[in-house]
Amino acid sequence: MHRLQTFALILTASFAIVSAACSRGEQAPSPAPATSASPTTAPPTQRVVGPLSEEDARALGTMNDSIKAYLATHDKVEKSLPKVPDNATPQQIDTSQRNFERRIRAERANAKQGDIFTPAARPVILRLLNKVFGGPEGAALKASIMDENPVDPVQLKVAVNARYPDTVPLTTIPPEVLQTLPKLTEDLEYRFVGDWLILLDTHAHVIADFIPDALPK
Amino acid sequence: MVMRTKYSSFALLVSVCAVLFVGLRAEQATVPVTALPNKAGSYKFAVLGDFGTGARTQYELAQQMTALYGRFKYEIVVLVGDNLYGSERPQDFKTKFEDPYKPLLDAGVKFYASLGNHDAREQRYYKLFNMDGKLYYTFSPKADLRFFMLESTYPVPEQIQWLEKELQVSGSKWKIPVFHHPLYSSGERHGSDTTLRDVLEPLFVKYDVSVVLTGHDHFYERVKPQKGITYFVTGSGGQLRKGNIDRNSGLTAAGFDTDLAFMAAEIDGDQMYFNAISRTGAVVDSGVIERRKPAN
Repeated sequence: MHRLQTFALILTASFAIVSAACSRGEQAPSPAPATSASPTTAPPTQRVVGPLSEEDARALGTMNDSIKAYLATHDKVEKSLPKVPDNATPQQIDTSQRNFERRIRAERANAKQGDIFTPAARPVILRLLNKVFGGPEGAALKASIMDENPVDPVQLKVAVNARYPDTVPLTTIPPEVLQTLPKLTEDLEYRFVGDWLILLDTHAHVIADFIPDALPK
Repeated sequence: MVMRTKYSSFALLVSVCAVLFVGLRAEQATVPVTALPNKAGSYKFAVLGDFGTGARTQYELAQQMTALYGRFKYEIVVLVGDNLYGSERPQDFKTKFEDPYKPLLDAGVKFYASLGNHDAREQRYYKLFNMDGKLYYTFSPKADLRFFMLESTYPVPEQIQWLEKELQVSGSKWKIPVFHHPLYSSGERHGSDTTLRDVLEPLFVKYDVSVVLTGHDHFYERVKPQKGITYFVTGSGGQLRKGNIDRNSGLTAAGFDTDLAFMAAEIDGDQMYFNAISRTGAVVDSGVIERRKPAN
């Protein structure tokens, strides 16, 4: 039953996104690309599980564009640094990570909140999260995220380009949430700090963007 | 007189508590021990989780692991996550991992890590964790045995899809998933991760998994078989949450939440023998698990 529902959702989302793609005008922001038959097989940054209206698909398209731009910067920095071998020493890991952090921060010196979670995409993200957490499993999902997460993002000084606090454990992101939000590559992850949704650059340990109060009460 | 009565009542209360406490410990200590057969040709391994604190007690448990190795030559240690707590600078890798387990590392014992919620993603590149740069991976140290090391804090659909494919194509008789968040746990602090369970358990049942190794809750627990699968929580390799097992959960086959512990196991044909061993060297749980076999 669950699989059928998921399949129906994917079909609906695909239809909505394809419709959006077909109907956009010349000046409209580029829409989220069509989702393929299974969200797991969609290319990075292109999976969105709806249902989405044409307008929502267009709004998330602006976020996808920003993610692509971020990843281009990330790749540029990565290529400029020595590759960490798969059998690295702690010193090699630490040096690489700190260099990565410094370079990303320099490349995005003028970055600000909303650059990736664009003003257009933000309400859609919030609506999708509301839908997930408003469902029958909502309480369990929220409990899973809040496990070891009783922190205050303001006190922790969560900000764009800030280092993810070393002493704060990573929140678990349940599969349902990951299937709902636009897909990311391995270089970026959704996490929560308190009830703020952040985009975390996993190599740089840097917060790329965030949405305050994203977890429904 | 009033004072004497109060003191007497207090003394009585303390005595009752002491008897109950000793009784509980005695119950744990008097469980009949199933010895590890220590057979030539069997596959021997250890399980450790939530360990990288750098505290004295972590080192003391590590000494028990070394002592066991002296008489039970396990080849690998599988790590269920939370490998390093707090800072992860180079010196932390040393004091929280390389130093306590140095005798084992020197003896050639290999550690295979999965990541927990306290672990930075870069640990996957660390040579001594043998992750080969991957957040989730599989390895087969011996014919008929394969471990599936998962990343349970971020179960992207690709990982679940990968797991199903790997379970499907694996010809190993023993398929053992290893990851941080327990699908079943009596932990009052964390407990069972039911959202992850919804996704993983059907795969474990479908592909005849017999044993699942997890951590996160800071104690040792063997869960009563669930749909034929035995789940272990081995999350007290360095951290401990005393008295955190909810004895009324209905899940616990055996539990130990008064001291640190690790697990030693031995696979011999269709049987997996196991011992859970405490910081003082006491065997706090033991038994044999029969491998699940395909229905047809």
